Amino acid sequence: MSASRLPAGGRIDRDQPIEFHWDNRKLKGFKGDTLASALMANGESILGRSFKYHRPRGIMSAGVEESGAIVTVGRGNRRDPNVKATTQEIFNGLQAKGQNAWPNVRTDLGSVNGLFSRFFSAGFYYKTFMGIPPMEWGKGTGIWMQYEKLIRKAAGMGVASREPDPDIYDHGHMFCDVLVVGSGPAGLAAAVAAAEGGLDVVLVEQDFEIGGDYLNQSSTEAERKRSSQISALKKLGARVMTRTTAFGLYDYGVAGLLERVTDHVAVPAVEIPRQRFLTLRTKHTILATGALERSVAFGNNDLPGIMTAAAANSYVNRFAVQAGQRIIVATNNDSAYSPALNLARTGADVTVLDSRTSLPDNILGLLDTKGVSHRAGTTALNAVGKKGIASLELASGDDGQWAAGDSLTCDLLLVSGGWSPVVNLLSHRGVKPVWDKDNLCFVAPIFDEPIQMAGSANAIWGTSDCEASGNAAGVAAVAAVKGTGMNNVTSAPGAGGWETPIAPLYEVRVDNKKTKCFIDPQHDVTADDVRLAHQEGFVSVEHLKRYTTLGMATDQGKMGNIIGLALMAEAMGREIPEVGTTTFRPPYTPISLGALTGRGKGAHFKPLRRTPMHDWNLAAGATMTDAGLWQRPWYFARQGETITEAYIRETITTRETVGLVDVTSLGKIAIQGPDATEFINSVYSNAFAKLPIGKARYGIMLRDDGIVMDDGTSWRLSETDYFMTTTTAHAAKVMVFLEELLQTRWPHLQVHVTSVSEQWAGSAVAGPKSRAVLEACVADPASVANEALPFMGVIETSLSNGVPCRIARISFSGEMAYEMYVPSDYSESMMDLLWSAAQSFDGCLYGTETLGALRIEKGHVTGVELDGRATIDDAGLGKMASDQKSYIGSALRSRPDLLRTDRPQLVGIFPKDKTEKFKAGSVLCSENKVEGHGDGWITAVTHSPTLGHWIGLGYINGGYDQWSGQTVVAADPVRTGNTNVEIVSPHMVDPSGERMRG
Amino acid sequence: MDNTLSVNVARVSALAKHYKPIIKDNPGVTLTEVPGLTLWQLAVWPDSLQRVASAVADQIGVSGAPGFGRSNTQAAVSMLRIEPLKFWVIGAALTEPDPNDGAVLDLSHSRTHIRISGPHATTLLNSYLPLDLREQSFAVGAVASTAFHHVGVALWRTDKGYELLLPRGFALSLWELLVESATQYDLSIT
Repeated sequence: MSASRLPAGGRIDRDQPIEFHWDNRKLKGFKGDTLASALMANGESILGRSFKYHRPRGIMSAGVEESGAIVTVGRGNRRDPNVKATTQEIFNGLQAKGQNAWPNVRTDLGSVNGLFSRFFSAGFYYKTFMGIPPMEWGKGTGIWMQYEKLIRKAAGMGVASREPDPDIYDHGHMFCDVLVVGSGPAGLAAAVAAAEGGLDVVLVEQDFEIGGDYLNQSSTEAERKRSSQISALKKLGARVMTRTTAFGLYDYGVAGLLERVTDHVAVPAVEIPRQRFLTLRTKHTILATGALERSVAFGNNDLPGIMTAAAANSYVNRFAVQAGQRIIVATNNDSAYSPALNLARTGADVTVLDSRTSLPDNILGLLDTKGVSHRAGTTALNAVGKKGIASLELASGDDGQWAAGDSLTCDLLLVSGGWSPVVNLLSHRGVKPVWDKDNLCFVAPIFDEPIQMAGSANAIWGTSDCEASGNAAGVAAVAAVKGTGMNNVTSAPGAGGWETPIAPLYEVRVDNKKTKCFIDPQHDVTADDVRLAHQEGFVSVEHLKRYTTLGMATDQGKMGNIIGLALMAEAMGREIPEVGTTTFRPPYTPISLGALTGRGKGAHFKPLRRTPMHDWNLAAGATMTDAGLWQRPWYFARQGETITEAYIRETITTRETVGLVDVTSLGKIAIQGPDATEFINSVYSNAFAKLPIGKARYGIMLRDDGIVMDDGTSWRLSETDYFMTTTTAHAAKVMVFLEELLQTRWPHLQVHVTSVSEQWAGSAVAGPKSRAVLEACVADPASVANEALPFMGVIETSLSNGVPCRIARISFSGEMAYEMYVPSDYSESMMDLLWSAAQSFDGCLYGTETLGALRIEKGHVTGVELDGRATIDDAGLGKMASDQKSYIGSALRSRPDLLRTDRPQLVGIFPKDKTEKFKAGSVLCSENKVEGHGDGWITAVTHSPTLGHWIGLGYINGGYDQWSGQTVVAADPVRTGNTNVEIVSPHMVDPSGERMRG
Repeated sequence: MDNTLSVNVARVSALAKHYKPIIKDNPGVTLTEVPGLTLWQLAVWPDSLQRVASAVADQIGVSGAPGFGRSNTQAAVSMLRIEPLKFWVIGAALTEPDPNDGAVLDLSHSRTHIRISGPHATTLLNSYLPLDLREQSFAVGAVASTAFHHVGVALWRTDKGYELLLPRGFALSLWELLVESATQYDLSIT
C-alpha cells in the first residue's frame, strides 16, 4: 500500500497541524484526522498483529467495525488497549503503539505462530491440553490447569494499565421526546422533522463530526445539506451530541449513552470528566444507525492493503488520503462503483472486478470515461504479499462456481461483499432481524416498540432515499408522541436502491487450492474453522460462535457474522435465515469500566453516614469503624494504647465510674396516632398495651415466620405518641416493615410512622456515676433523680444550656445507664456538657469495642445472635413473649420445629483454662466428637475485664441445661486451633441486674 | 418538644465546618446551604385530609394544601405534599392538632437544606437524580422524593432554584459529590 496525503481537499484543517507519536516515532497529521487516516497519510501500513497467528494487519475500515488497526493509546496509568485507530481522533502529544507484537508490529517475532497455523484450529488449546493422554485419561484436567496459565499469558489483545485510573467519570440522566441515533442523511432529516414538529429531540453521533455518510461525499450539495440541517436543529433547540455512542437500548425507552468528553484533548482540565455515562429516557427512538460494508472470505483477505471500498472512499474524500495507487475493487454490488470513480478521479489506476456478469451500460460507460478498467464475472481469489498486498490472484466464473484465473499487481484491494444494516440496538430489545433476500442482509422485522429504523439501517441505499426515510420517521415520531395519528405521515422509501441486484458472495475458493480466508480477523477465525465446527457436529449458530469465538472479539461480529452464517448455512445445506443470527447485546462498542463506575468509587463507593457527633468524636481521639453505612467510634485510645488496652480501660472505667458512647446510629421511629398503642402492641411479641406514659420498655419483634426480626426499646411520650428505637443494622428494615403493615394489613389503624433517626443525636451515659453526670448537665437536676427517673423511666426536659432533650433510663451495658437524645444540630453542645461532667468523675468516652465487651458480659443480644435463624426462645427471651395476645409471628412461632427443646440456645462460654482465649466463629463440639458442624457456634467473644478472662456468647443445641458441667471444644481448626471451654449462663456479670437498677 | 424554649447555643449543621465560600463572576452552578431549617411534618388521616391540610395552609399563609408532587410557597414558608397523607411545612412551626385530625412532628434537624441554582443546576442534579427536571415536567412548585447516590432525598423547585433536603447523616457525603461534580461548571458556593 503506498498511501499518500492529497495536496488539497478533505475535511481536515491543514492550518492546524498535529504532532503525535506512533511506536515512539513522531509523526504529523492534521486536525480532523483519525489516528488511522494520519498513519495512512504517513505511509504506515502495518498497525497491528493478529490474535493467534500474529499476522500483520492494517486498516480494514474507517469506523467502529475495524478489525485490523487495533492499537494501544496512552501511557502509564492512562494506557488504553484495543482502541480502534479508525475512531481515535489525533491530538498533539497523542501516544499510540501497536500491540500483540514484539519488538513491534512491523517485525514481530510472534509471527512464527503463523507457521503452525494449520494446527491452531478451533478448540486447539482445549483439544491439545485437556485430559492429555495417556496420563490423564479419565482423570480430569489437572495438567490443563497448569497450561492454562501459560496460554493466557501468550494470548490476549493488548494489556490494560495495572495502575489506578486517574480520570474522573460522570454519570447522568437525560430526558427527551425523541432520541435519534446517527447523524447521517437519514438521522439529520429525522431529527429536523421531529424538532419542526415541536418535539424535544436529542441527536447522538458517535463520530466527532455530525454528518455520517455526508462526510464521505465530495459533493458541495452534500455539504450544503449537512450544514443547513445542523443550523436548523440548532435553531429548533434540539440537543446535538457528538462523540456520543448509544451503546444499548433497554425497556421503556431507556437508552445508554457514552459521551467521550476528553479522549481527544491533549491536556484536559482536571475537573472535566473523561467520559459521561448517560441514561436517557425517551418516548420515541429513531435508529438511523447506518450500515456496515462486509468483506468477503478469500485467500489472505487480511493482508494490509485490503479494506472495504467505502473505507477508501472515506479516506480520500473526508481525510484527503489516497490509500493506494494501483487499486483493485472487488465487489458484488453497485455501491463500490462510486468509490472506484472517486479514487480514479484523484489519479489512481483503478480496476473493478464484479462477481456479477452483467451490468447496466450507463455504469460501464462511466467507467470507460473515467479510465476505470472493469472485469465482469471476476473476483478476488487470493491476495499475495508479505507485509502488504502486492498482487491479487483472480477467480472467474458464474453463479458461484469459481475457477482460478490470472493475477494482477496492485497496492490496494478494496472489497465490497454487501452491506449489513446496523440493527444491533434493535436486537438489544429482543427483536430478531429477518433476512432480506433481495438485499442479502438482515433487516428489522415489523415490531411493536416505539422505535423506527431509518435510512441504510433499514437497507435503503441511496442518499436521497435515506433523507426521505429519515424525514418520514421524524414525522411519524411527531404523530406518535403527540398522539395525532399517522394520517399525515408520508410513506418512507422501501429497502434497496441499487440498479443491478446484489449477487451472493461470501467466500471464494477453487478446487485444489488451499487458502487462508479470514471471516473474523480480530480473533483469527477462518472459513475452515467454521467448516471444522460443522464437521464436529455443531449445528446451532450460538454454539458455533462460542466454539470458534466468531464474533466474540471487540467488534462483536460486526464484520464477520454474516459470512460465518453463510458458510454454516452452506455446510448444512440450508439457507441463511434457517441458520439464524446471533443476538447482538449491549454495548454496541466497548465501554470503559471507569465510565460504568462513575464517581461511585474510593470514598464515594457508598455514601458515608456520619453522626452529628462525628467531628466531635474525631476531635476527642476516636478511631472510627464502619457500621453499615455509618461510621461510629470504635475506641478512644490514649497515647500509646493498643485497641485491646483501650477497650479494657474503657470497660473498667464504665463499670467503675462512667462512660459515654455515641448511639445516634440506632434506628429511631416516631409512631403517632390514636391507634399507636394497638399498633405497637401488635408488632412486638411482648405486652405493650399498658405501657404508661413516661415509661420505656424493651421489645422484641418477630417476622411472620416466628423468627426474631429485631429488638429495641419503645418510649411512650403521650397517649398517642411513641418513640421506638431499633438496632443500627435493622433500622431501615423495621421502618419499611412498619409501613408495609400499615399500608397492607392494618390500613384501618390511624397510625403514622416516620423515621426520626436523623432528627435526634444520642449518647448513652453508663456507669455508677451516670446519674451524677446527668444531674450536672440538665436544667433541673431533680428531674433525673432516682424517683423522678427510675429504671425504664422517660422524661422530656432540657439541658442546662436550654437545648431540649429526651432521656430514658435504659441499659445495654448492664450499668445504671441512660440514653439522652437532643436535636442533631445541638449534639456537640450536649457532648461538651456530658464530657465535661464525666471527666470530673474520671469517666471515659468509649466506642463499639467496649460496647461489645459490656454487652457480652451481660449476655445482651445483638444482630450476630439475632441472625435470622434464632427464635425468641433460642435467645433466652421466650418468657417475655405474651400468650395473651396475637402479634406478628405469634402463630408460626408455635411451629413444632421451633418448639424443640434441643434447638441451639443462647449460652455463655468460658475457657476451661482461664488463661486461654478463643475466637468468634469457632464451632462448639462435644469433647468426644470434634467433627462436622458440631453442636453449636460462638457468636461473640471479648476479654472480660470484670471477670479477668476471655468470655463468649454462642448457641449450642439444648442450651445450658444440657451442657452444664461438661467440657466442650471450641473448634477452630483453620485459625487458632481448638480450645476446651465450658458452657455457662449467658448472663456472666451481674445476672440479677442490681447494678442497672441501682 | 417545646420549640419556644430559649436555647443559648447555636445550631451546628452537618456542613458547617466543611466548606468555604467560593465566589465566581458568572458561576455555572451556585450551591448554597440554607441554614437554620425549620421543617415540620403534618400527617393526616384519609378522612381528615382536606379539612386539616387546608386549615394548616391557612394558618401558615400559603394558598391551600398542595396536590401530589406539588408545593405552595408564600414568602419564606412552603408547604410540600411529600406523601399521600403527609405534608412538610418549611419555614414555620406547627402546633399539636387533635390526634383524630392528625399528628405533627418536628423534623428541623433531620435534613440539611441545600439550594442549587445557575444555568447548569439541572445538569448537575441529573448527574445523580433520575428525574425529568425539564421545565415542562418539573416547573417551579414541583416536588419529588427521589434518590441521590442511593440515598432518599426530597427536592422542590422555587423561583430561587432547586431546593434539596438531604438526610443529615448523609449530607456531607452527598455535598462532597455535588461539589466535586459541580467544579466543571464553574462552581460558586455561597
